[in-house]
Amino acid sequence: MRNKILFVVTVAGFFFAAMFVPAAPLQASPSAAQGAASSPCDRSCLNGFVDQYIDALVAHDPSRLAVTKFVKYTENGQHIELGDGFWRTATGRGGYKFYVDDPEAGQVGFEGTMQEAGHPVIVALRLKIENQKISEIETIVARGGMAEGGAANLDKLGKPRAGFEDEIPAAERVPRLDLIKTANKYFSGMQKDDGKGDYSFFGDDCNRLENGMQTTNNMTPMGGTTSNGTPRPAPSAKYDPSTNPTSYSAGWSCRDQFRSGLLHFVSLIRDRRYPIVDQEHGIVWAFGFFDHQAGDTRNFETPDGRSVTAGPTTPFTWEIAEIFKVRHGQLHEIEAALTQGSYGMCSGWSSYEQCRSDQPQW
Amino acid sequence: MPVRSAAMVAAMRQTIFAVAAAGVLLLALSARPPSTAAAGADCDRVCLNGIMDQYLAAMVVHDPSKLPLAKNLKFTEDGVRLELGDGLWATASSIGNYKLYFDEPEAGEAGVYTVVQENGAGVFLYVRLKVVDRKITEIETLVARKQTTSILNTDNLTEVRPIFLETIPAADRPSRAEMVAMVGKYFDGIEQANGDIVPFDKDCVRIENGIQTCPGSPTSPLGALSCGAQLSTKIFTYIQSVSPRRFPIVDRERGLVLAAVRFNHPATQQTVDVPGRGKMTMGKYSQWPNSTQIAELFKIKDRKIKEITAVIVAQPYKMPTGWE
Repeated sequence: MRNKILFVVTVAGFFFAAMFVPAAPLQASPSAAQGAASSPCDRSCLNGFVDQYIDALVAHDPSRLAVTKFVKYTENGQHIELGDGFWRTATGRGGYKFYVDDPEAGQVGFEGTMQEAGHPVIVALRLKIENQKISEIETIVARGGMAEGGAANLDKLGKPRAGFEDEIPAAERVPRLDLIKTANKYFSGMQKDDGKGDYSFFGDDCNRLENGMQTTNNMTPMGGTTSNGTPRPAPSAKYDPSTNPTSYSAGWSCRDQFRSGLLHFVSLIRDRRYPIVDQEHGIVWAFGFFDHQAGDTRNFETPDGRSVTAGPTTPFTWEIAEIFKVRHGQLHEIEAALTQGSYGMCSGWSSYEQCRSDQPQW
Repeated sequence: MPVRSAAMVAAMRQTIFAVAAAGVLLLALSARPPSTAAAGADCDRVCLNGIMDQYLAAMVVHDPSKLPLAKNLKFTEDGVRLELGDGLWATASSIGNYKLYFDEPEAGEAGVYTVVQENGAGVFLYVRLKVVDRKITEIETLVARKQTTSILNTDNLTEVRPIFLETIPAADRPSRAEMVAMVGKYFDGIEQANGDIVPFDKDCVRIENGIQTCPGSPTSPLGALSCGAQLSTKIFTYIQSVSPRRFPIVDRERGLVLAAVRFNHPATQQTVDVPGRGKMTMGKYSQWPNSTQIAELFKIKDRKIKEITAVIVAQPYKMPTGWE
């Protein structure tokens, strides 16, 4: 009998990186909000579009939506017909809903849990609204074991962490480009992490959830094996170079994970887009790809001078939607939905050159 | 980033196996434009295989500069356009003994299946080169890795099965179009869940990613069914469509057709009624949409499909192959 495979999400260990790549020159943001211009859609309007979208999705009926003539739909980076893919398999809403509104840009992001044929999935959704119609729909659907466990965690949370929900006092709000620049330091710091960068952009309270799993400050053993097939070590509470760690720990803080230089195997973070910024809440929603080339980037030197070989053994890419809480120029909360894509794949929303580049797009 | 347990990984790798509805077929049986055929005419089979060997040798030393490359070279790995030097080029360390070549000198097309070591694990590689004026203009590759496919056994791939090396007598060679049409019937048969329309030899053998998948094992859920009988059980109806389909290499001398196709699995059904066996539940992963990109090689002899071997890579649903 013929077995065919599924798109697999694999694993690996961790992915990050940090050779400090100098930030690209930042141009003035062209009106972040070209889409909003003609017919404003405020927060409740934007959230309403998300709710309508999810309802239509579960009903498998895109005709319920107000869409523009040339609406574009992508699912996990593939441009497919609206009504195909997850539109045929979604079966219900989940209990976690996280809206990120950008009325200025006419865009809204939604991270939430849903059901697909009885299995929990995590969905990251971006809608662009023009003249009260949806013109762009970008989705990442994270499925499989990790997402199922993580969806359960998110459902338990029920709502975004308080750090995300806190409003930034009007006097403390900063321009959207400044928020984006801070978020972009995360990607630049992770890419080919060498542990030698300036990681003061992390707040002391920084915490991160990836597909619903807490991957910083988490002392709960994760079990299983690393990408190399060896048992995953028990989490350690603090980065301590004297213990000669060869892989970073989910028990460490955001900053210490970067300081360890052990995320070096994240060889490239590219096609960095920042389509949604919520200045009132200091939230930046980014899309990007984390490449793991699995070649020479597996061999590196830690800041304390040790030679380490670590990281995935085959080239692969995470397609990721990542949400950052920025306050006083620091990252305090990070939350991501991610799925494994084909190595080097593109998003469908940028040029080929942008897809290949680690320069931020704004 | 995320940490994943072996159990998660294993779960994610599970195979799909059965679902969906018969699809409509289509298919452009591509007749190759005559102009293309002339392009590589000065590079015969030996020349093409020599360039292929150069390619593999350059890859394991991670040095594309050793190759005769055209300026407008296009390279894809698993459907993604990459710089030559990236992907398997950055990780390959050696090439195994298994090398199955197939060529269409009239079109300047060379193909190979081989096993490559990547960070200590075997992967199954398909390469297609297009050669114009003795320079490589196109490189299409698929790499079946444990992480991107659930069935893979490179240990089985030590020697090329002799039938692939047999030459078809000149008088018995079907035309290119006839060979492509026969293979097209195979994909039609999958879409229609009907093995009767496929010109299978009764003893046809299919090996996918190094694992024989028909005739089936007597201990498998469906028993030792032939390739054709398997199709007619409807167990493959989870493959809603085989589209797009290309036939970039037809080796008439050896009776070989290389089909580059995408199987689309919308995951809209979780069970199928198998005649005589009742309802069968399909694998867990028929529950979400996905596609597979496949390079599938067919041996045609006596106007029948005698043997099939394939490199299969799982991908996001409906991801373009990069060559349409």
